[in-house]
Amino acid sequence: MNYHPITRRESIKKLLKISGGLALTGAMTWPFQKTISAWAGSTNKKFIVEGIGQNHEYSVKALAGKVFEAAGGIQKFVSKQDVVVIKPNISWARSPDLAATTNPEVLEAVVELCQEAGAKKIRIADHTIHDARRCFAITGAGMVAKKTGADLVYPRSSLMRNMKLQGHRLDVWPVFLPLVEADKVINLPVAKVHSLSGLTLGMKNWIGAVGGRRSALHQDIHLTIVDLAQFFNPTITLIDATRIMVSNGPSGGSPSDVAVSNRLILSDDPVAADAKASGLFNFRPRDIGFIRLGEKWGLGTTEFQKLRQHKVII
Amino acid sequence: MKANHLVWIRRVSQAFFLILFIFLLVESRLPQDIYLDYSIALDAKQDIELDYPVKYFFQLDPLIWITSLISGHQWIKGFGWALGIVVLTVFFGRVFCSFICPLGTIHHMVSYIRPALKKQRMVSANQKHSSQRFKYFLLILFLMSALLGLNLTGLLDPISFFFRSLALAVFPGVGTGIKELLDLTAQSDIKILNYISYGGEVLVSPVFGYEYKAFKSAWFIGILFLFILFLNRIRPRFWCRTLCPLGALLGVFARFSILRLEKDPEKCTNCNLCLLSCQGAASPVPGQEWDASECMFCFNCFNSCPENAIFFKLGWPPHVSKKPDMGRRAVLGGLLAGLSFPLLGRLDGRLHHVSDARLIRPPGSLPEKDFLKLCQRCGLCMKVCPTNAINPALTEAGMAGFWTPNLIMTQGYCEYTCTLCSGVCPTGAIRKLSGKEKIESPIRIGSAYIDRGRCLPWSGNGPCIVCEEHCPTSPKAIYLREGKTLSPSGKAVNVKLPYVDLKNCVGCGICEYKCPVKGNPAIRVIAAGESRSVANQILLKL
Repeated sequence: MNYHPITRRESIKKLLKISGGLALTGAMTWPFQKTISAWAGSTNKKFIVEGIGQNHEYSVKALAGKVFEAAGGIQKFVSKQDVVVIKPNISWARSPDLAATTNPEVLEAVVELCQEAGAKKIRIADHTIHDARRCFAITGAGMVAKKTGADLVYPRSSLMRNMKLQGHRLDVWPVFLPLVEADKVINLPVAKVHSLSGLTLGMKNWIGAVGGRRSALHQDIHLTIVDLAQFFNPTITLIDATRIMVSNGPSGGSPSDVAVSNRLILSDDPVAADAKASGLFNFRPRDIGFIRLGEKWGLGTTEFQKLRQHKVII
Repeated sequence: MKANHLVWIRRVSQAFFLILFIFLLVESRLPQDIYLDYSIALDAKQDIELDYPVKYFFQLDPLIWITSLISGHQWIKGFGWALGIVVLTVFFGRVFCSFICPLGTIHHMVSYIRPALKKQRMVSANQKHSSQRFKYFLLILFLMSALLGLNLTGLLDPISFFFRSLALAVFPGVGTGIKELLDLTAQSDIKILNYISYGGEVLVSPVFGYEYKAFKSAWFIGILFLFILFLNRIRPRFWCRTLCPLGALLGVFARFSILRLEKDPEKCTNCNLCLLSCQGAASPVPGQEWDASECMFCFNCFNSCPENAIFFKLGWPPHVSKKPDMGRRAVLGGLLAGLSFPLLGRLDGRLHHVSDARLIRPPGSLPEKDFLKLCQRCGLCMKVCPTNAINPALTEAGMAGFWTPNLIMTQGYCEYTCTLCSGVCPTGAIRKLSGKEKIESPIRIGSAYIDRGRCLPWSGNGPCIVCEEHCPTSPKAIYLREGKTLSPSGKAVNVKLPYVDLKNCVGCGICEYKCPVKGNPAIRVIAAGESRSVANQILLKL
């Protein structure tokens, strides 16, 4: 068996095969493959980069650039002629200072990095909670799209397609198509508190990538988050913790709910990224249900010493 | 000026105003410009405003202006245009009806393009008919009723009627059809069909909306619209001649018009060509007395007369034409009906006792009594609402409030920072709010309560915090407390239980909208607690 980390593309191909009923054995071995691949030895060690803006007047763009540099450069993740989809969290029609949504400056920096890497097309897609046009305008995502020329995909019923998630809890569920029809997927969440899951970080961001009866997902929130994170399996996760929402989450609404953290966390291990960010809220990673389950089901690790660790301070 | 030129000027004007009306109607939605500068958003809260003056046609309407003046006792900003139309009518008769009115244009088109009647039958259909008095009955009814504090004008005012029919029935109906088709092709396995569907949506959505629009009782609004179009087959411009209260009002002023139809009976050969094309049944034939109040100044008779026996002429000094033929019955009947409706409308007790719990008015609505004095039921607030929450009321507001705006939270919700509906109300029944005022006052439209029997955690059916998660206020009006409930198997389970803090709740309804219990959600918003009513408060002191 070939022990390399399974890419999202391959996993979709596999899923299609499975749903076609062509390879029953594939369905049997697939979860194991997945588990093993995440632990694949030192040949392809995963990494985590924590960027901290200590200088009072640091630029978010420069910090993002340094963070990617430390990880080996954006070219490592985005190749020329790639279609890249970025999944920010712009669920709420709230202005950027309220920290309910991904900082537009971070979004802008990532789009520009992808452009530098020669991406053919860059899409920004999120299935928002509030009216999407209001979200696009108020969160600043629309402005970023205009400035950089990236596409902003409006979530609509024709772009939702039933897909087989093959999760532990979710089987068939409507998926927001642009987030799977891409060569590279960048998860760009904002770090917030959440009353049920504890925190809203990278893996939970995938709830914004599906349609259907999303409000029912809360009845088994941690397992559904892990199912979705496994399905979408992003190329990299960049957690925006430039400012974090520490109370009244996940919608916030008052500047008093926001704390300044000046951090960006980048990793190709979705569990590790979330684990790192949970520290900002003084949580132990394994106290958060979806992080614990994510580790258990082999999506990643909370033991940072198993990763290449970097710290960037500007 | 030659008659033919006048007719063409009229057609150009009709086309211009009809297109302008439809354009403004389409633009009555959240602006498409999503490219707000976030550096502005960071500094000060910026409200999203409409790009175009979408209430222009309402401000052009003298009937809306006069009835609002009578019932609301106030001069509403922007109605200078309506005054202008009155002055125009005094000098030039009902030119509004055939040069400007978009509903009139539609009727004109329907009657002209496929006339149901031919030759002699058309001539006799265009003879003046006593049923034309009925519009005066309606006018007097609306004026009298407005005087007693109930403004029913919008039910039959042509601008309100046309806007409501298009915005709530025709556009959503057509839009649903197109969207179903595009959704179907999007699901196809053929790639090219997918792309056609995506491309089609980009073109169609800005006009018809991004979601499937839905309005309760819109089917009835649509049928009514088709019905009045059908009436054109009985008599051309049936609506304008017989039903339109605005036409009646303008007819009253048209008496003094200095632009008059002059006749030369000696040249007339009784060919009746003028009658064949007469839009208003205004007796253009020489030998009969011309009805200035019925004439719509379409200039068709002038254009069709082969003998030049009739022609329009500016008559100076002015002399008063024949007075409008109302008939005593229409006047007395109108007064009596106008007296009855406001009183009958109050009999349900909603104004003096308790209002319906389901009657949730848009944020910024005036107290119910003042609201009914001004609301035109035009549907502008319903069209503009981005979540489709505002619907025409069927029974929630009683007979007096038929088709007035009402929020249905299972269909949409009131977005916390959105103030679009308050900015578009033509008469100020919903007063203008800023986002800051809406949040900081706060403007409450109702309050939420939890139905514990249906609620998943309360009934022991598992965890769920969806209402709390979506609650937009800070601090949240819905809070959670750890508690024990019995699961269906009888086992005690620890769950987070939702509670409502009435002090913070604004009644926005997003909790009801997002609740996983659909149709009759486990958390619901009722009107109690709404800011606009003193009597409807719950807490002693807020």
